Amino acid sequence: MAVDRRAARLGVLALVGVMLFSLLGVRLWFLQTVKAEELQASVTVAKTRIVRLAPERGRIFDVHGRILADNERILTVAVDWQMLRRKTQREEIFRRLSGWVDVPIEEMQRRFDSDQYSTFLPMPVREDIDEPTAIAILERIEDFPGVEILTQSKRVYPYAPHAAHVIGYMGAITKEQLKNPLYESYILTERVGQFGVERSMEAVLHGTWGYKKLEVDAANRPVRVLEEVDPINGYDVQLTIDLEYQQYAEQVLETTLKLRRTQTAPNPEVKKPDGSREKMDITKPDTVFLKAPAGSEIIMDYSNGEIIAMASYPTFDNRWFEAGLSSAKFAQIFPSEKPDGTPIDPDESILVNRAIQGRYNLGSTFKPFTAFAALNTGLISPGERYNDTGTYKLSSESVDLDRCAAGLLKCEFKNAVCAGSGRPCVYGDVTVEDALAVSSDAFFYRIGEQIFIRNNRLPVLQERVELFGFGTDTGVELPFEFDGTVPDKELKKLYAEKGIISDAEGESYYVGDNVQLAIGQGLLSATPLHLATGYAAIANRGFVVQPTVIRAIWNPGVPDGQPGFADFTQGTVFEDLSAPTLIRQIPMPDEVRKPIVQGLQRVIYGPGVDSDTYHKTTGEHLFLDYPRGEDAIPLAGKTGTAQGANNYPWNDSSVFTAFSTDEDRPYVVTAYLEKAGYGSQAAAPVVKCTFLALSGLRTTDEVNLSVPLDLHAVVSAPPLAMTDLSCYHSKFGSGVLTQDRSTD
Amino acid sequence: MALTFLERKPDSGLGNIRSSPADPSRNVDWVLLLTQGVLTVAGCFVVYSASRTKIDGDPYAYATRQVVFAIIASVVMVAVMSVDYEWFKERASFLYGATIALLVLLLLMGFAQGKDRISFDFGPFNLQPAEVAKFTVLLFLAVYLAEGRSDEVTYARFLGGLIMVGAPTVLVVIQPDLGTGSVLVSVAMGVLLVAGAKARYIALISAMSLVTVVAAFVGGFVDQYQKQRLRVFLDQDTTDEQLQDAVYQVRNAVRALGTGGLWGQGWLDGPLTNDGSVPVMWADFPFAAVGEQFGLAGCAVLLAVFVVCLMRIWRIASLSRDLLGTYLCAGVFTMLLWQIFQNVGMTLGIMPVTGLPLPFISYGGSSLITYFAMFGIVQSVHMRRMR
Repeated sequence: MAVDRRAARLGVLALVGVMLFSLLGVRLWFLQTVKAEELQASVTVAKTRIVRLAPERGRIFDVHGRILADNERILTVAVDWQMLRRKTQREEIFRRLSGWVDVPIEEMQRRFDSDQYSTFLPMPVREDIDEPTAIAILERIEDFPGVEILTQSKRVYPYAPHAAHVIGYMGAITKEQLKNPLYESYILTERVGQFGVERSMEAVLHGTWGYKKLEVDAANRPVRVLEEVDPINGYDVQLTIDLEYQQYAEQVLETTLKLRRTQTAPNPEVKKPDGSREKMDITKPDTVFLKAPAGSEIIMDYSNGEIIAMASYPTFDNRWFEAGLSSAKFAQIFPSEKPDGTPIDPDESILVNRAIQGRYNLGSTFKPFTAFAALNTGLISPGERYNDTGTYKLSSESVDLDRCAAGLLKCEFKNAVCAGSGRPCVYGDVTVEDALAVSSDAFFYRIGEQIFIRNNRLPVLQERVELFGFGTDTGVELPFEFDGTVPDKELKKLYAEKGIISDAEGESYYVGDNVQLAIGQGLLSATPLHLATGYAAIANRGFVVQPTVIRAIWNPGVPDGQPGFADFTQGTVFEDLSAPTLIRQIPMPDEVRKPIVQGLQRVIYGPGVDSDTYHKTTGEHLFLDYPRGEDAIPLAGKTGTAQGANNYPWNDSSVFTAFSTDEDRPYVVTAYLEKAGYGSQAAAPVVKCTFLALSGLRTTDEVNLSVPLDLHAVVSAPPLAMTDLSCYHSKFGSGVLTQDRSTD
Repeated sequence: MALTFLERKPDSGLGNIRSSPADPSRNVDWVLLLTQGVLTVAGCFVVYSASRTKIDGDPYAYATRQVVFAIIASVVMVAVMSVDYEWFKERASFLYGATIALLVLLLLMGFAQGKDRISFDFGPFNLQPAEVAKFTVLLFLAVYLAEGRSDEVTYARFLGGLIMVGAPTVLVVIQPDLGTGSVLVSVAMGVLLVAGAKARYIALISAMSLVTVVAAFVGGFVDQYQKQRLRVFLDQDTTDEQLQDAVYQVRNAVRALGTGGLWGQGWLDGPLTNDGSVPVMWADFPFAAVGEQFGLAGCAVLLAVFVVCLMRIWRIASLSRDLLGTYLCAGVFTMLLWQIFQNVGMTLGIMPVTGLPLPFISYGGSSLITYFAMFGIVQSVHMRRMR
């Protein structure tokens, strides 16, 4: 009985077993026959992977279609992150690759440790390897698990270093930029424009990422493409820059600066308060060599604001930014500090476009705007004469003369010293036209005082000059433009708060400040482009146009034409930007404009004024052999000398602006040469040479495609030189190699 | 004709049979032994196919170790077979106590180290006390119930058995190892059923194990991993990001099986097996590797071999000379049945994923040695059935 019951219970157990196995059997049959096909299919759709497709960056052309910025396909060695996770494996791969790609293991490890690279994309270990190496690696790919050769594109600058400051350069996208909505769709490893047009036109040049949605099997091998959205390439940008004149501007700027370095400025004896006389800087010899470290030049079309050339020195080769420099090498080429760790002299900074970023005093080149303010407000009339005695004393209306006598206030302002007499020049009875021609300071000191006190000390002069664009950025399509400053009560207060000027000085805006402003000194600061824009408005009868470097946006894919050129006839314009942007129109009737323009014409062509003796105009001497007649562009211009630190003569910066009075050839040219002497000595020869070239009276050098970048070089750009130096020649010898100090 | 018949040597009493037909060494169940051998050898091949692409440099790393485990396990089995299972009867309480001690020690070490532990590390191999517990708990329970010498299980004895199984089960569940816990419970149910427990007792155990599982989840003894596996089981088409890893394993296991179709992709030709799409396939999903490479045919053969195994054990249970032998065989039967169902079921997507190995096939020394030892006991029951 017992055995029977045991057997029955074991039977229950067997039954359970049969049931469970039946369940398994049925399910197994179901899966492996009925659902087999479906499962087979599902293996392939199991996973998808998105591969981002890079757009090709738009190209940058000069006005004639020279390809200034282009893209070149490069091969990059990259490693799949999966293979890098394990330390031993990673070290092994790095060790094997290091010799092949010529990158130290430490550098690869640094890239691995930085959070710079997306873990969804292979990590690049070496960009731009040559093709034989890439092929060799691919042939031994079994020795390099996870290693891939990617085709990427690299920015090239076929005419580098020309126009480097305008074209700009690319760099890794910064953390700040990634937060900016403009860069929303960008990826972490992208290189974006960081300077020049590359930066300002980033949105146009960049294009839109495409993607490919791939079906991959379990081992991440692509099976088929599910969805593909092509990238949209960036638009091509045509600049207003004409590389022929750009090169000329760069050459004449650099050549002139270098010539000026051979010249000296005097270290004159001055009378000390105690009556003794000693040299201005007792640590320096009688004459001091000019440093002439830097400068800039702009050629602009004043009818539409198009910038034909914009040179800044010292310059650089923008290919350095695509050369994959080590940080040590970069610091050698673009030093930010001296070997002892102190910051470098700002005179020597390279990555600054001085034409739009320079914070300069303008000196006498500002006088035409003061003249306009005086004429415009009716303070003076065109024919009104003022007796310039070489010194201007403030009137009792504006200051307390007792305080002047006590020496508490500076109430006496002097003209520049005349070489002949050794005392401040005396120009006698002068009209506004005469005053501009010979650059009479006293005349403008008076305007500075009178315009202030006649208008209840309101900032009338400021308002008038701000019409020309001073104090606000010009809006040119280039990054980091300096706004400029026009001194008034608010600015002084701000500077006092920042500690730039003393609190006592910042308390109020004094008549003395306005007197300084009238001759372009004091707290006035502006860029060379401000100056060019202001002169353009005088030249074109009152139209303030926005300076521009962009002529047109072309649809992607303008084909190549002649070597180094794009063929515009085969392309289509996306947006024509050649129409000028008018910022404002300044009322400029002939009775206001004529005395100013005539004064500026006399700066070039003379005559000067007769008072105690004949005073030639500031440019008369230099331009004496500038051709008169059909071919040569007729000019009007103004010199300026901006005083620098301690008013030492060797710190004088040289400024000159001139415009064509022939409206068919509407050029305005501005040059600013730092610490290079008087306006007539350095900047004026640059402008003169430029106009000779623009007139076709001097041949410009042919523009050639650049030679490959010398990676062993230690300078940011190779030196440039003009071949034809004849444009410097003046009736009295070389215009730039002159020790004779003509007046300002 | 007659002449040849006469040429026979004279009968020497017992003929040329020198020993008794009841001699244990003459009563080995060769069919069971053969099927066990087939399963073990097949297991080594399956482990090789599922793990060979996983380790750089040495495709045989896991397979070699599995062979070594099989040899060790064979030695253990021979030792177990060579003694009468009565021998274990006297040592059952000692082995049970030692197992409980090991489980407690493991838990304390786990607490001290602040992490979950399921094994002791001994350099080249790990000892999983939970695997040992399968054997010792079965032994102790069978001995305890056999002592009753009755066809019915009294309520008192039932309660005693419950506590006896309950204690190690709780310790295993909070390790946390729900899979082995379920094995212990199923063994208890099988043995108690055969011992004559009333249906309501079985129902009580089912209810209690359900409560234990729920308590384990609520009490936080179940780690994130196991919770995810359960959620995946309940919702196999989930798109929850957090569950992707768990879903991935199960889905690919089912896919591997499905792609095998009727005849399979062929030896070493299963793409999902080769590229490691199913994590830890050699230990958790060897059945999927069989399915992909050998298809429905291979799976059916494998399951058939298991069925033969189970039938032989069932037969031995009914042949046993005493209750202890029957109970031991019933326990091994239930354990084997449950583990096959659980492991194959999770590969087929009809059971939640646990770490329970497929006996003889899955990679793992502790499991192999435990099963060899238990089959040794079963053989021992068969060998000594006539004494």
